[in-house]
Amino acid sequence: MSLDDDFLEDDEMNMINEDEAASDSEAESLSDSDNEITEKLAEPTKTAVYNRDGLLDKLQDISWPEDVDWTHKLTVEIDQGPQAVDVNDDLAREMAFYTQALEGTRQAFSKLQEMGLPFLRPADYYAEMVKSDTHMEKVKSKLLYEKKQMEEAEERRKARDNKKMAKEVQSQKMKERAKQKKDEIESVKKWRKQRQQSGFSEKGGGAGELDLEFSNGKSFQRGGGGKKRPGVSPGDRSGGKGKAASRMGNKKREFRDSKFGHGGRKGLSKQNTAETTNDFKGGFRGGKAGGGNKRQKR
Amino acid sequence: MGKKRKHSEAESAAPPKKDDSSPERPKRTLLGWKDKTQDAEETKAAPEFRNKEKVLVTCSRRISFRYRHLMLNIVSLLPHCKKDSKVEAKSSKGATLNELVELKGSSSCLFFECRKHKDLYMWMVKSPSGPSVKFLVNAVHTMEELKLTGNHLKGSRPLLTFSSNFDKDVHWKLLKEMLTQVFGIPKEHRKSKPYHDHVFAFSIVDDHIWFRNYQISVPHNEADKVARGGLDKMTLVEVGPRFCLNPIKIFGGSFGGPTLYENPFYVSPNQIRALEKRNKAGKFAKKIKAKTRKKMHEISNPLEPDEFADMWKDDE
Repeated sequence: MSLDDDFLEDDEMNMINEDEAASDSEAESLSDSDNEITEKLAEPTKTAVYNRDGLLDKLQDISWPEDVDWTHKLTVEIDQGPQAVDVNDDLAREMAFYTQALEGTRQAFSKLQEMGLPFLRPADYYAEMVKSDTHMEKVKSKLLYEKKQMEEAEERRKARDNKKMAKEVQSQKMKERAKQKKDEIESVKKWRKQRQQSGFSEKGGGAGELDLEFSNGKSFQRGGGGKKRPGVSPGDRSGGKGKAASRMGNKKREFRDSKFGHGGRKGLSKQNTAETTNDFKGGFRGGKAGGGNKRQKR
Repeated sequence: MGKKRKHSEAESAAPPKKDDSSPERPKRTLLGWKDKTQDAEETKAAPEFRNKEKVLVTCSRRISFRYRHLMLNIVSLLPHCKKDSKVEAKSSKGATLNELVELKGSSSCLFFECRKHKDLYMWMVKSPSGPSVKFLVNAVHTMEELKLTGNHLKGSRPLLTFSSNFDKDVHWKLLKEMLTQVFGIPKEHRKSKPYHDHVFAFSIVDDHIWFRNYQISVPHNEADKVARGGLDKMTLVEVGPRFCLNPIKIFGGSFGGPTLYENPFYVSPNQIRALEKRNKAGKFAKKIKAKTRKKMHEISNPLEPDEFADMWKDDE
């Protein structure tokens, strides 16, 4: 057909001005094989046929009579809005379609409601659906899976953040403690220096200074919460509370020490005591008695 | 839902009843209920309109899986269609297909033709003398995709929504009419289900017709009334399938005839591929040209001798 030939030639000539309308790689990436490129000619070919009258004739031929009930056609026309939808912006395009359908449904429903026709499916109406139940199961499992993934990611992120926070707090605490310790030591040193400088003779004065030192800073406060007993050097554990548990624990400790401590009983058996250093005969001299001797001598 | 009695009888029984029965029964027209007393002169459209649309759906032989699934999806969407076996490719398409359509007694046909295992063309034809349209189908997503989560009754009548730019031009109007007739299920079809729970959306964007199918979910208690404020809480879930139609030509007859309309913006996919190949083919020649160009340029603009070129030469 000569018409076809002309059409082809014009296409080739106009290909210089082509701009590629990018394909339908949708934002949701529904499928992989969506890379068909449709190119649009910048100028329409001049020889395109457009037989308006013929089209109108055909339209008259096939259309249904004018006064047909709307319920036969069920069509709604929705205005797209003044702004043209960009084809390549997937989200905007889908939004446009969605709003069109939503608007259309609203109008249609209001019409149907006026007519008083049933149009909403009751909850107990069970019939064959267009997708099988097994397919819907798959859909549901996929949705659940996705939800789970998201939740897990959230949790992981939260845990990570918490850990970070905890670590920070921890490091802060450590720093504080170290600082405190340093301060304490510093104050002790200072006090000693002062004492040195002021001479050791003035004990009363020194005690007074000592008192001042103590009352100045809280640096010598031990874990007891400020319990100061005069004449007691720090590190003296004589006046402790002595809990029952610790006493029992002590007994346990003593027993264990005797058994295993410093090599234990067995370990000592091959060591010399004062008496046995000069015995060259060797041999076993009554196990328990000898071992016990060694023990007691300590 | 097998109703044995013929619908035509039911329909023909209805009008005389309406005319003879109790006078206070109001007459139903498009604009709502009208009192019978008001329009004594108004006569009804003489024959009661009945949508007897039957669609024949077939495909060509070498069709790929995705397009076959699309065809099957469409078959499940339209209960007034009949699926036929594959059609031989080489025979003169027009004659055989016309015969087939007449044989099956259908009033329209959707023929899916897959060429080169890559491109899908769809013919939408009104029989026997109706216009026919050839489309190029793009961006196909079938109902089996797991991201399309909606579901609806099989055979329920859809609401058809068209964007307003279908009324802008004659060929769009014709296409709109054809789409309505093919995709709209006849009102009391044997296999159709009551209740409208899905909606088709046809929009024209960038001179393509985009098709979407949504399931309507609206909270409701009764079948014929939406709950208060329910219309605002209505949501649509996509059911699928999705495709995009690019009209190529509109013919006056079925599967042929005088061309009534050609799309001036249409470029066939073969030409696109050929163009790509041509671009690629010139790569080597272009490289050679670039090399010679570079040489010429270097010769004509010699570089100044480098001051630091001899710096490291003496350090042995």
